[in-house]
Amino acid sequence: MAVQLSNQRANQSLDWITLSIFVALVATGWVMIYSVGYGNSGYPQDLGEFMFQTQIGRQSIWLFISFVAFLLLMTVDWQVWRTVAYFIYITGIVLLLLVPFLGKEINGQKAWFAFGWFTFQPAELAKFGTALALSSYLNSSTNVLQSLQSRITAIGIFVLPVLLILLQPDAGSALVFLSFFIVLYREGFSPGPYIIGLVMIVLFVLTFIYEPFYVSTALIALTGTIFVNQFRMRKIYWWIGYVVVLGLIVFAIRQQFYWTSWLANTAVCFALGYWHYERNKNRGNFPIMVGLFLCVVFSFTTSYITNNILQEHQRTRIKVWLKPEECDPQGELYNVLQSKMAIGGGGLSGKGFLEGPMTKLNYVPEQSTDFIFCTIGEEYGFFGSTLIIVLFVILLYRIINIAERQRANFSRYYAYCIAGILFVHFAINIGMTMGFFPIIGIPLPFISKGGTSLLGFTTMMAVLLKLDSNRYSI
Amino acid sequence: MTTIKNEVLIRVYVVTLLLVLAALAVFSRAFVISISEGKKWRDLGDQQFVKLMPIEPLRGNIFASDGSILATSLPFYEIRFDPLTSNITESLFAQKVDSLSMCLASISDKFDAKGWKDYLWKARKEPIRGVLIMEKATQEQYERMKMFPLFRLGKYKGGFIASQKSFRSHPFGTLALRTLGYVNPEDSKYVGLEGYYNNYVGGEQGEEMMHKVGRDLWLPMNDLKQVDPRNGDDLLTTLDVNIQDITQEALLKSIDYHNADGGCAIVMEVKTGAIKAISNFRRIGKDTLGEIYNDAINKRTEPGSTLKLASIMAMLEDDYVNLEDTVDVNYGKTRFFDRILEDAEKHGMKLTTVRHAFEMSSNVGISRLVQRFYGENKKAEKFIAHLRDFNLDKKTGIDLEGESDPEIKEAYNAKKEWSGITLPWMSIGYEMTLTPLQVLTFYNAVANDGMMMKPYLLSEVQRLGEPIKTFKPVVIKRRIASKKTITMAKSLLEGVVLNGTAKDLRTSKFSFAGKTGTAQVNYGKLGPDDKKEYQASFAGYFPAENPVYSCIVVVYNPKQYGFYGAICAGPVFREIADKAFTLKTELHDCINKREKMPMKGPMLPSGDAGMAYDIDFLLDKLNFRYYKQAKKEFAALKVSGDSLKLTDRNIDVNAVPNVVGMRLKDALHLLENRGLKVGVNGYGVVRRQSIPAGARVAAGAYIAIALE
Repeated sequence: MAVQLSNQRANQSLDWITLSIFVALVATGWVMIYSVGYGNSGYPQDLGEFMFQTQIGRQSIWLFISFVAFLLLMTVDWQVWRTVAYFIYITGIVLLLLVPFLGKEINGQKAWFAFGWFTFQPAELAKFGTALALSSYLNSSTNVLQSLQSRITAIGIFVLPVLLILLQPDAGSALVFLSFFIVLYREGFSPGPYIIGLVMIVLFVLTFIYEPFYVSTALIALTGTIFVNQFRMRKIYWWIGYVVVLGLIVFAIRQQFYWTSWLANTAVCFALGYWHYERNKNRGNFPIMVGLFLCVVFSFTTSYITNNILQEHQRTRIKVWLKPEECDPQGELYNVLQSKMAIGGGGLSGKGFLEGPMTKLNYVPEQSTDFIFCTIGEEYGFFGSTLIIVLFVILLYRIINIAERQRANFSRYYAYCIAGILFVHFAINIGMTMGFFPIIGIPLPFISKGGTSLLGFTTMMAVLLKLDSNRYSI
Repeated sequence: MTTIKNEVLIRVYVVTLLLVLAALAVFSRAFVISISEGKKWRDLGDQQFVKLMPIEPLRGNIFASDGSILATSLPFYEIRFDPLTSNITESLFAQKVDSLSMCLASISDKFDAKGWKDYLWKARKEPIRGVLIMEKATQEQYERMKMFPLFRLGKYKGGFIASQKSFRSHPFGTLALRTLGYVNPEDSKYVGLEGYYNNYVGGEQGEEMMHKVGRDLWLPMNDLKQVDPRNGDDLLTTLDVNIQDITQEALLKSIDYHNADGGCAIVMEVKTGAIKAISNFRRIGKDTLGEIYNDAINKRTEPGSTLKLASIMAMLEDDYVNLEDTVDVNYGKTRFFDRILEDAEKHGMKLTTVRHAFEMSSNVGISRLVQRFYGENKKAEKFIAHLRDFNLDKKTGIDLEGESDPEIKEAYNAKKEWSGITLPWMSIGYEMTLTPLQVLTFYNAVANDGMMMKPYLLSEVQRLGEPIKTFKPVVIKRRIASKKTITMAKSLLEGVVLNGTAKDLRTSKFSFAGKTGTAQVNYGKLGPDDKKEYQASFAGYFPAENPVYSCIVVVYNPKQYGFYGAICAGPVFREIADKAFTLKTELHDCINKREKMPMKGPMLPSGDAGMAYDIDFLLDKLNFRYYKQAKKEFAALKVSGDSLKLTDRNIDVNAVPNVVGMRLKDALHLLENRGLKVGVNGYGVVRRQSIPAGARVAAGAYIAIALE
């Protein structure tokens, strides 16, 4: 009787909103893949041929498998996951170790195991396994993130699969694992390293776009401005003087006295800092100087690395992202341009189901997998794109809510892991179709074609819903 | 406790904020692309699958005057294959690729069956949509390929992509190729007739909106904006394939024999100015000659002695000379100021007549006369005015691209290099430059009793076989000189052939008139090691008494076996004239090329008789099968059943021969050899003879034969 009661409560507390959004996204995906594969000639009449010869047929089979898996997973006791977490994680790691030897090479990556037309990507399992393992590790004691060693262990849990995945090489999947930093932040990692990381990313982007010379000049000038602002007496004269100096520096740069002006700029900055120190005997500006020094060094270093150490195709990818105007529209920029044309082609309300010419004629590469968002944009327009974005945002927000309402810490950690994974997939995938992120091959969750991916996300969602439905069990 | 809770809350907010920021960024980006920049991306996208494509018109044909096709557009197909249509599954491809490769190997030498298979598999793997199968497939190859495995599924399912194109074909090969010319709009090259009349023969491009329905598949949108192309009209030219052929061959032979740098020849119809043939050759390699420039109309050179005709005609017009006047040729050497002028051939004469000085092409004679009448009293402009009367200072206006302007100096204009020796040198065809066509047009006018005709090549523009525009002969000048002058000029030109420099070219078969020319190209600028370079020419017309064609032949820099006009160019003229003369009647199909009829008794020639050799020859040529039993000079044909026998016709030396069955030629020969007087009645074959065969009659007896 008691067992039955608890089951009833469990069913009642199933999060229907999350489940509905999940189902809606999967259904959208199926329709979009159907549309992409339709092409000019439509689909074969024969059911067998439809199921096994076409993309949509195979996707339907995977959909069925995922549905069955979902039902099965919902019957599994929620406590099990904590205990099998490491087992699943280790299985994932072993498979990742094996895939370079036994895997099938597709598009230059050895990321798949193939059994006939059935292909399986161990990285998907590793995502799920790592989420469980990290949650389980964080759950192992109450003060787990207090020591440096435990922090390193926590990071190590997801850096290990990252390293293995980079061997394939599959930068996209590897990037997804960085989403576990989100759960670590929520669970108490200090924000400092995050800010430093953010600064580094910004500096990298700026350096790539504007050259380290200009970035460092701007940084030094900015620092000088901070110092000038510290003067109390006759501030206005200091300001006028500094603006004149900056004007001279700009003029010198215009006259192509690059390094002279750079040195002058640095000298002025140091002089201001030193003057301030002499006057106030205050070392408050010392960290600013160190920060400036590090930023300048970082700027020149990344520039050196991108120009000399990265390989041509890697450089090209960054260029497509940050300097598209320098790229060949028929070459490396082709994908992004076609993708934008498809999305732009949809306009406000889209061209309608099966009516998108760019989709039908296969202009956009990978449009049933990585670029499926274009198909949505072309066929359903801005409304369609917005709907998908809104659905994802509600889903993610809902998962964060779910996480925060858990009594069991394990469930909260796990929910944050899933939220992170979905967030990175969502932001990078949609961002890249619009030229907003570099082109990194990762699927749009629930929507992109790909059996393992669908099964993987279904599993994650099933476990999440199951854990959530048992939130009152303790 | 509260601070921890607060800190957790802040962290949750930060995470949520991250989510919201990312969502906003993505959302705004979507807004920019589909709404604010929407039009730009839509237009860019639309350009990819809708565009205005030109529809190429088919160029018209170019016909020779007899309707032979000189240039035509033939269709060909570029065949491509898309190995990745949705219909061609991996298994279907694997199943059919072997037989397809074998079929392809049977039609193309590009690969063998194995090679084709590898090629197709590679295309599928790579993948190459629209891999090239054959660049220029004929209609027949295209029809065959359409039935190949996979291909027969068609364009959409089988990936068989054939695009029709056309190329210009010249059924007569190099015949008048440069005159026909070509058009290459990409390099804006418009050459020859094709270029000059591109407006007619080129047609007009149409255009239509096409939209893309599949990879490399464009279909018309069937909208009203479509502009149909207008196919090119046909050009009926004045060119005569036979004369052109003769001209080309004769010229080539001479250039080759004399190892010349090149040459050209033009044949013109005297009465109309219609060009019957133009041929040009230049040496492009040590052993190759090519028709690469139309030198006949654009190579301007000093014509040399052929222009002496103009000098003499000028003096005749002014009544300064009579042809029988005496002229001092001073043993072939004279001096004008510091320059010595010599005759080309030594003749050892001091005095001769004007006529003979012209016939033997004496430089000294002609130049001294011109100098005496125009030079010494400073009336060079009068001489030049005559050249203008002969239209030698103007283009002929032929309907071809690239005719050069002639260059004739202005009298006493020192700025334009007029000097004391200009006039005497001009009188013998130097110090001025003309194209061969311009010289010929002048000679043609002389042949045409003074009426100068504009040379032309196009006689009619046809659309679907119906003339839409006809070009009539155009008179440039009704009379270039008085009738008397023309008559004398003609007699001079006939004299050149009868007694003068061209007397070796004479023939008894027909008469012709003309003038040789041997111009030294690099006179006056010869270095010590330079070889003299000559330009040999011959201009004239035939037959002399009633001119039908005029013709000029120029051979540039002959280097062996002589360099005189009479030796290098004259024979070419003769050969052209010989053959053109025989070809004057319209040609018929060769009899032995007709379809062979079955030979049955009544259709066989029975009872015919004649020279055994002749009958033999004819039967052979006509592909008759017969039994040859004849061994003597004369024979007769007999039919028994369905077979034909050639038996001896015995001719008794001392009696009246049997001439029944013979043609007049043989009958007359035999009868008159017997000393008989023959009366002939009718035509055809001898059917009856008044004195029976075998009768012995005295010489001088009369015999009547009836021919039917």
